[in-house]
Amino acid sequence: MKFKTASLSQNIKFRAFVGFAVVLFLFKQFFGLNNAITFRILNEIFVILTAAFFILYMFDFIRAKKINPLSLIMNIGILNAVIFALITFSDPILNWVFGNVKERLTKPDLIISIISFLYGFVFISSVSYIFFTFKELYFLKQKKNVSTYFNTMIIFFIVASFASVLNPYPELNYIKTTFLIISVILIFINSIRISWIAFLVKKEKISLLILSVVIFILFIVNLANSSDSHLHGQVLINFSSSLDQFMNLMMIYGIIYFGILFFTTLFHIPTAEAYDRKTQEISSLQYFSKLINQVLDFKELSETITEIAVKVCNSDASWIIWIENNETKPLAKKNIGIVDTNLISDYILSKIKKDSDSKTLLLNLDKFEDKGKLAEKFYSLAVSPVKTHNEVKGYLVAAKKNDFIFDDEDKNAMDTFSDYASIAIENSRLLEESIEKERLEKEFDVAREIQRKILPAKNPELENLSISSVFIPAFEVGGDYYDFFELSENKFGFVIADVSGKGISAAFIMAELKGIFESLSKTFETPKEILVKANEILHRTLDRKSFVSAAYGVIDLNNETLTISRAGHCPVLLIRNNIVRNIRPSGIGLGLNFTEHFVDTLDEIHLDLKEDDLIVLYTDGITEAKNINLDDFGNVEFEKILVENSDKNVDEISNKVIREVTLFSRNISQHDDITLVILKWKQKLNIVGENKWQNSAPQLQTKVK
Amino acid sequence: MAEFSTSVADKGEVSTIYLKGFLDAHTAPMLENTFSGLIDNGKYSIVVNFKELAYISSAGLGVFMAFIEKIRENSGDIKLSTMSDKVYNIFDLLGFPLLYEIFKTEDEAINKFKETKKLES
Repeated sequence: MKFKTASLSQNIKFRAFVGFAVVLFLFKQFFGLNNAITFRILNEIFVILTAAFFILYMFDFIRAKKINPLSLIMNIGILNAVIFALITFSDPILNWVFGNVKERLTKPDLIISIISFLYGFVFISSVSYIFFTFKELYFLKQKKNVSTYFNTMIIFFIVASFASVLNPYPELNYIKTTFLIISVILIFINSIRISWIAFLVKKEKISLLILSVVIFILFIVNLANSSDSHLHGQVLINFSSSLDQFMNLMMIYGIIYFGILFFTTLFHIPTAEAYDRKTQEISSLQYFSKLINQVLDFKELSETITEIAVKVCNSDASWIIWIENNETKPLAKKNIGIVDTNLISDYILSKIKKDSDSKTLLLNLDKFEDKGKLAEKFYSLAVSPVKTHNEVKGYLVAAKKNDFIFDDEDKNAMDTFSDYASIAIENSRLLEESIEKERLEKEFDVAREIQRKILPAKNPELENLSISSVFIPAFEVGGDYYDFFELSENKFGFVIADVSGKGISAAFIMAELKGIFESLSKTFETPKEILVKANEILHRTLDRKSFVSAAYGVIDLNNETLTISRAGHCPVLLIRNNIVRNIRPSGIGLGLNFTEHFVDTLDEIHLDLKEDDLIVLYTDGITEAKNINLDDFGNVEFEKILVENSDKNVDEISNKVIREVTLFSRNISQHDDITLVILKWKQKLNIVGENKWQNSAPQLQTKVK
Repeated sequence: MAEFSTSVADKGEVSTIYLKGFLDAHTAPMLENTFSGLIDNGKYSIVVNFKELAYISSAGLGVFMAFIEKIRENSGDIKLSTMSDKVYNIFDLLGFPLLYEIFKTEDEAINKFKETKKLES
């Protein structure tokens, strides 16, 4: 909507401008030679109206652009150069093309009218544009909208210009002169408002100084050339005396304005550098405070820090000496090579006391022995500690070359800046840590999920063996594994294992174990054979640092025997008649040795099972459960609970154990998986040799135990 | 968090690594660095002194496995010494005594190296 109305009003201004231009042209065509005062006044009114709408139309065009004082100045300069060229060349060219123009002006034909009209128009536009530009410069960086003086000046400009209609009456010249003088005074007053100079950087100030001299001279030349004696002046006066007068006023404005501008700029130059630095400091800090919230990458952050450090204290180079695990390394070198960085860093660290105050330290390389080895002639150094939690994590270094030194301003800037840098670095570190923590948590979630799926969903139900199993994962998931295998009608296998290490890698090895034992238990019969084969298979996949402790057992349900082999795992416990027996046949953990030595040292134990025998399999998560003093839960306590509760059913026993362990470890996080499997042998109250009995005379074969 | 540190002392041609504190998955890399450092310097006769070791986890045990092959290839060895009963029990369960020589004192371990050297020469 806004855009539409804007273009609509623009359109109206443009139409009004074209309309008045046509009226002016026709008026000139018919009444151009009439010198009566009324016609002269009408002529001037038409010119002023045309010019006014042209200016209004142009305003909308130019205001949309971003205003830069130097480009405005440049515009004025270029227009002045154009005017200069027009004035200088109009005389010879017009006379050469159209013969004696001066004479033809008195009796104008259509061609001369058109030429004169166009000529007048070029000046209307260029002078209007210059005026418009002056206006923009005037309002640039004004804090208050002090337009009274300027508006008054505009009024006087118009009146003074308009007064030129009285030119034919020399006795009334004083009117024109009065307005002219007041206008000039107002020009002076308005030309002092050039505070925008202060906001230019040093380079811009220098180019402004040069530009203002050139433009100042151009204005003087143009003013001198636009007198009545030149053809230009005559053509213009013929077109409109107000325009001629207005142009002269503009030239005067230009001379005064650029004169003042030149001297003001000249006086500003000595302080330009200080001003530059202040603005740079402010903009750097703003830039940096924004960054604090954005930083995700420590490396990127340190690069930005050194980049800004260079700007903040006008140094040639900057880098960070980062201290981690008692090792120092240079980070984010800016404008300096690795060799120089290392040499100077070492020097700084030898000079600096770790507990010295937190402020920036200024050093120079006068006494630096290896000065000659430096590729570039760095001389002065400013060193600020970078602190997090009041601990010095490193130093921010800025360096200047040759004889340049750091002054108090630089030191203060470094002080402030290194505080900001410290905060940003701390934020970045915290962020990195929390991301890492989250990643670990995710990893452990995945590992826990794998583990849950691999372990038996429920305990097998057997006639004369009751089974209970409990598994409690730790936060940092370990690799505990247990499983049951119904090998045949009368053989039942079980395995318990613990993979070294934690997390995803342990969970994967555990998954592999599941496959290995699942398939081996179908192919091989004895626990020893199975563990030997499992060791061979693991040889292909386990890395050197990983190993698995495992125990594999087979219960012969018919013969009521238990066969067990153990590869590095905790002993299997047998509780019979309130006495605990550690079943601990010799055997090296899986993955620790792949030679015949493994096979030779792996023993197998055979036992007869008795009524109410408890077979307990566990991982060291139970016996090594810690309390707040980091004491172990221990075997003794574990065995005691087992014995005391051995008459209960398997679920009650395992509940009791878990409750005691949990109580022992309260207020401390569980550091390893806990696995507890309890088997209880229930002897057959029924018949031994059932099969035989079914095929023959029952009463003879039956034997009740 | 539990602390762990290692230190190394050279006694003749034998280097002894002293372990202190808690050796687990988090601190195992420190011990790995210590071993790597010795191997890089061509020191393959290594005694590990467990006197001040409070705890060792499975990941800690793995460190010894990581280097033994390379050390034995260079006719060196890792000998373990001065273990508390608790730590010995962990090694024993896993069958480490079948893979490593474990001595009651550091001197015994060092002497064993010397004897072996004499026999060879």
